[in-house]
Amino acid sequence: MIGHDDKQDSRQDYRGRRRLVLGVLALAGAGLVARAVDLHVLNKEFLQGQGAARYLRVVEEPAHRGMITDRFGEPLAISTPVDSVWANPQELIQQREQWAALARALGMPRTDLERLLAARRDKEFVYLRRRVNPDMARRVAALEIPGVALAPEYRRFYPAGEVTAHVVGFTDVDDAGQEGMELALDDRLRGVPGAKRVIKDRLGRIVESVERVREPQPGEDVALSIDRRLQYLAYRELKAAVRKNRADAGSAVILDVHTGEVLAMVNQPAYNPNNRGKLKRSHLRNRAVTDVFEPGSTIKPITVAAALETGRFNAHTPVDTRPGYFRVGRKTIRDFRNYGLIDVSTVIQKSSNVGASKLALSLSPETLWKAYASVGLGESTGSGFPGESGGLLTDFGGWHDIQRATVSYGYGMSVTTLQLARAYAALAGDGRPLPVSFTRRSAAEAAELAALYEPVLSVSSLRAVRRMMERVVAKGGTGTRAAVPGYRIAGKTGTVKKSGAGGYVEDSYIAVFAGLAPASAPRLAMVVMIDEPRGEKYYGGAVAAPVFGKVMAGALRLLDIPPDDIPSMPGQRLALLRANGGGGQ
Amino acid sequence: MSVATAQPRGSMARSRGSAAPALAHYDPMLLLVAGALLAIGVMMVASASMPQGMRAGEPLRFVERHLFALVLGLAGAVGAWFTSMARWERWSTWLYFLGLGLLALVFVPGLGREANGAMRWVGVGPLSLQTSEFMKLFVVLYMAGYVVRHKFSVVFEMKGFVRPMLLLLMACGLIMLQPDFGTTTVLLATAFGMLFLAGARLWQFGVLILCAAGALAALVYVSPYRMARVTSFLNPWEQARDAGYQLTQALIAFGRGEWTGVGLGNGIQKQFYLPEAHTDFVMAVIGEEFGLLGSLVIVLLFGLFVWRAFAIGARAERRGARFAAFVSYGVGLWIGMQAFINIGVNMGLLPTKGLTLPFISYGSNSLIACCIAVGLLARVHRENSEAGDAKEGKWQRA
Repeated sequence: MIGHDDKQDSRQDYRGRRRLVLGVLALAGAGLVARAVDLHVLNKEFLQGQGAARYLRVVEEPAHRGMITDRFGEPLAISTPVDSVWANPQELIQQREQWAALARALGMPRTDLERLLAARRDKEFVYLRRRVNPDMARRVAALEIPGVALAPEYRRFYPAGEVTAHVVGFTDVDDAGQEGMELALDDRLRGVPGAKRVIKDRLGRIVESVERVREPQPGEDVALSIDRRLQYLAYRELKAAVRKNRADAGSAVILDVHTGEVLAMVNQPAYNPNNRGKLKRSHLRNRAVTDVFEPGSTIKPITVAAALETGRFNAHTPVDTRPGYFRVGRKTIRDFRNYGLIDVSTVIQKSSNVGASKLALSLSPETLWKAYASVGLGESTGSGFPGESGGLLTDFGGWHDIQRATVSYGYGMSVTTLQLARAYAALAGDGRPLPVSFTRRSAAEAAELAALYEPVLSVSSLRAVRRMMERVVAKGGTGTRAAVPGYRIAGKTGTVKKSGAGGYVEDSYIAVFAGLAPASAPRLAMVVMIDEPRGEKYYGGAVAAPVFGKVMAGALRLLDIPPDDIPSMPGQRLALLRANGGGGQ
Repeated sequence: MSVATAQPRGSMARSRGSAAPALAHYDPMLLLVAGALLAIGVMMVASASMPQGMRAGEPLRFVERHLFALVLGLAGAVGAWFTSMARWERWSTWLYFLGLGLLALVFVPGLGREANGAMRWVGVGPLSLQTSEFMKLFVVLYMAGYVVRHKFSVVFEMKGFVRPMLLLLMACGLIMLQPDFGTTTVLLATAFGMLFLAGARLWQFGVLILCAAGALAALVYVSPYRMARVTSFLNPWEQARDAGYQLTQALIAFGRGEWTGVGLGNGIQKQFYLPEAHTDFVMAVIGEEFGLLGSLVIVLLFGLFVWRAFAIGARAERRGARFAAFVSYGVGLWIGMQAFINIGVNMGLLPTKGLTLPFISYGSNSLIACCIAVGLLARVHRENSEAGDAKEGKWQRA
């Protein structure tokens, strides 16, 4: 070929060589085409698989936690979507110059950020700050720092704050219930997180959602039995009373007599569940269900009911309390003063320890024990509230005279505020202690539950005791300040010496008032307990009864319960009589 | 009806041609192909650079610069088109030495700019001049001038082959110092191609091939590690986290594209997975967003471009304009070779080299040099047409 070309004249171009070059280039092009087909079509499964392994990720989608509401649907705990800031430490570590700006946007010292990153330098994930407010999330996103991203989460808000704190409880940073109903109802409230497949860019940011692997299932909304209006009322009055009496703590519980539902439950001291930054551990306790105390005189109506049940006593049976004290074995039981020869009814009205002891000693230990146990003392209320205490009621086998005597006026046994409220709800009804419920319960359910109990105290005995308890609130009683104009209130005061290490402590008391209303056809049972009032007065009638009176007055009106004490409001007598269909006295 | 309208249109074109001769001497295929490549380039640079631009807070930053370079490039093309081949021939040697000087400037402290570990740019204020891109153009012009001046020497004498090689090696040496193996490869291949087309003896190429093989063998012997890096493209999946990272990401892009692609802008690999997505690896982004169809269109367009360059060159050679002819061949070889290497690298057929895809990749200097090359081809075509060998027709064989 060369020899041939050599002989060509200058005009001869090397057409053959040109074609060769073009041919080679065409071959190269054909090679590219072949390779293109190879990659685009023949190898696509392998290549797409490799790609998917690099950018496809399954991320969890948080599920919405169910809302907690009061009995009328008013929100008490709600979840709102917020962002959490997280980072890929391996990426972020390379952006040292951005750390200062990031720390500023996150509102944390730079050293904290550095510590976080240093601790997780080998990992691919670290939360920088969880559940930030939308403003902060925007600022962080605007920095566009590689390796820093936002993750959607839910934050729990408690609109009623301190007022419902102990009942509702709260969740931890991972949205799991930690205290209160948030913990008790966690299984129902908690949703099932969903999962979705996403495409992430190499910086870890989600570029595109590909598919839902699993739909997130939101948790169930749960209505509590709480009535927010009653709750607020109780909170306000209890807080005021604890402050006024410079007391350590206090609790108040209102139960629905017919259903066993908790309509209100408050404690002092309380806390704000929305801001738990500087929180004392002791403030978290829902004292009404966890803390026990000796119920003192508030137990006397049950003692008396047990005596009435024997048929040997009625309201007018005389009891000799002279001379104001009474020796049982080596112990002297004392009254506040010498009440003289009084009837059974007056034992309740004046709160005579001597009288109660004498009644108790006339009963067999078993009879007495059964009366207490029949209204739920010594057993859990069945509320299922986390950390609930069951109180203490020792077995009657060890009850000698001295034990029987002290138990009759509420020492030597212990109860929670809720337990006592349950016992009073039983006194207010037919003697059957319905298990307590923090969630809504229908009348039918309540009736079903009630059928499981065999009442010990008869309806007539209970009616008689309630009438005696009305005298406590009436003139000459120990709890006059629990009275509510227009309503008949039945209740009992209690002033209990606190026991400490090595016996009872001087000048250290618990003031209690337990009652029910309206006495003619009880709907509500309420117990107010105030721990260590340090004011001038420390009696249950002076410290706890006024809280009862104020809260009950508001509660009866809010619940539209018709007044049953017509003589005290003569002007309205006729109208009320008509409204009640001629009922009343 | 279509016949009826076609008739006057044809006559109108002819009459306009006689009124303004220059306008009639466009090669429509050449301009269509170049225009299509440039348009695809703007589109793909926009798509591929968006994630990076957004991260910098200026989503359109790269497109704006690309469009600015395109304007400069079109101005350069028009300038080339208005410059006669005779003048280019006179300038060719001087331009080559100018190019060598510019290459040396890269190493002047304060002027040279470094990026990605290579000194490839000369800084002039806000502008960066990548002299090696223009050197490709100058080499084409120089070699064309050389084979015309030493027509017989190239064919019959040893020195005719060796002499340009020495000058070429100077340029290659300077470029290798940057270092830029890709451009060196394109330069040498273009020059060899031109010598081959000028009739240089085959045994000389045989010797060169032997030398290259020897050098390669020496490299393997001296530093097997470096060799391993060069050949890592053969099995990138084994080193997908380091040496093979970029290539595996490019291959994934092609695989995701399937037949017609995931659609413009929908590519994932450019989301920081594929480095240099808008420059050297823009082909992978095309492959992902437009699939096999897109890849074939690109290969076809470059094929058409090379065909037009050789056709225009052949026509010039037939009428005795040998300088114009070899400039055309040279441009065809350069663009064709660079496109082949770039696409080959993207598809994992060749070891990874830093080379742009002509007309398409982001990179002002490459874009401007390519535009000027099109201007040169258009000029040759115009001179062909003006020489009046109309009887051969427009669609002569290459």
